[in-house]
Amino acid sequence: MTLSVDVIKRGDRRQPEKFQRQKLHASIVAACLSVRTPEGQAEAVAHAVCDAVVAWLEDHPEVTSQDIRIIATKHLHTHHPEAAYLYEQNRITI
Amino acid sequence: MAKKYEFDYDLIVIGSGAGGSAAATIAAKNGKRVAIIESDTFGGGSPNWSDIPLKSLLHAANLYDEARHGARFGLRSATLGYNYPSIRAWKDLAVKRTGAGGNRKYYESQGIDTYAGLAHFLTPNEITVSRRHLSASYFLIASGAKWEIPKIPGLNTVKYLTPRTILEAIRPPKSLLVIGGGETAIEIAQLMAIFGTKVYVVEQSSHILPNHDSEVSDLMGRVLREQKGITIMAHSKVLSVEKDGLIKRVIVSQAGTEKSIRVDEVLVALGREPQVDLGLDNAGVKYTAAGIKVNNLLQTSVKHIYAAGEVLGRNSHTHTALIESQIAANNMFEKTKISPDYSKITEVIFTYPGIATVGLSEYDCIKRDLAINKAIAPLSIIARSNTSDFRDGFVKIVTDKKGVILGGTVVAPHAAEIIHELSLAVQHGLTAYQIAETPHAFLSWSEAVKVAAAKLVP
Repeated sequence: MTLSVDVIKRGDRRQPEKFQRQKLHASIVAACLSVRTPEGQAEAVAHAVCDAVVAWLEDHPEVTSQDIRIIATKHLHTHHPEAAYLYEQNRITI
Repeated sequence: MAKKYEFDYDLIVIGSGAGGSAAATIAAKNGKRVAIIESDTFGGGSPNWSDIPLKSLLHAANLYDEARHGARFGLRSATLGYNYPSIRAWKDLAVKRTGAGGNRKYYESQGIDTYAGLAHFLTPNEITVSRRHLSASYFLIASGAKWEIPKIPGLNTVKYLTPRTILEAIRPPKSLLVIGGGETAIEIAQLMAIFGTKVYVVEQSSHILPNHDSEVSDLMGRVLREQKGITIMAHSKVLSVEKDGLIKRVIVSQAGTEKSIRVDEVLVALGREPQVDLGLDNAGVKYTAAGIKVNNLLQTSVKHIYAAGEVLGRNSHTHTALIESQIAANNMFEKTKISPDYSKITEVIFTYPGIATVGLSEYDCIKRDLAINKAIAPLSIIARSNTSDFRDGFVKIVTDKKGVILGGTVVAPHAAEIIHELSLAVQHGLTAYQIAETPHAFLSWSEAVKVAAAKLVP
């Protein structure tokens, strides 16, 4: 079953886009690799976090990009606290 | 001149239970454009799957139990039985008659727009419900709470019950382990025990009903053990749950010793978890997993967003949520602001005997370092206990040193009715002397209130 979730971008300045699992997956892998996590572990963590986010999205047809970041961070905390910290701070840094 | 923004509604209420309904109705009656959003059944928990169905089942159970023990009054009730599907039908009738369950049409008749779906904030003034964007100048969050599911190994692998799902059971289970010893857990434990279920109650603290004075928990513990055959395991913790054929095997740690209990069903009734998954971060509303933070006007950290009911994370009852909802509506649209006074709210547990409290308990007074006097009148000293052959209960009154009633506890049949005399006393600062000099009808349970008050008169 394909998940059809609209993601409203920060500040409502850009058009909403469809949720893309691979995009979230890549961002979590990047956060894990940034704290020197082995690639295999980074992939496994990203997979678990994406599963949790997708499960949450099943009840939420329309969310903001901030929502996805918050939920992903929450689950990333249980799997990889160090990467979660980086993932959480990344938005502020940018 | 500053630009005035136009919104779809003056008020959007999230949740149609007790915390939301009053505010929505009040605002609509005052000519405001109101919408109400419900993610589950309209009417919320109280009429659909908690207060009304549980209390109607308890009423039937208590009738059955009293009749079954009628031999001492000369009644022949040895062959008395029950038909559980008919009892469930009675419960469904009670829910239907209340009119508050599934009351979407009621709101529409009041000129309130209704939406079914999960509300999610996108910005402080905009929410989405099923991909539909709605905006309002005020919001009231009354999304309630759901039963908390503890992280117990194996619990997710078995089909467990919650206080909501057990009310829909086809028949009472042969045996039931209740995780938690709070108010709802005890009501259901007694309900099922009356219908013949072997019940185990596992409570982490030293006694059941941990939020009540020790006299209450000691008495109820004894009544449940001796009269209903319930096994109460205090100082205990469920370590794991696993499937064992058709039944469930629960490992419980009691004072360091592990015990294995085989039961048909497991009921999780530990506590309530506020429903805060509403995109509150997008609105800037401050909250924790324990609930939404509000000031004394029920305003959240965002001034046009209010919250009421169980979502605040307090031990809230339907009548408390209704009061909060009315106060929130007032504070949104009226110039004179008001705050809820939680110190005078009545709490009732519909066990048999019933338990009702109002105001400060003895423990509350100790915590506040208040100098108090207290008196307890056991039911056994009033005439009604003789004619009804019922002695398990008491009335306890707490006063300050001047005799002003600060709080009271009633454990008795019809406690929910008896307590209101003390509620009136607490609300209006009456003294024990004033209660004691008020004539009370002979052979009423309320005579115990007069006796307890008289004990406090110097």
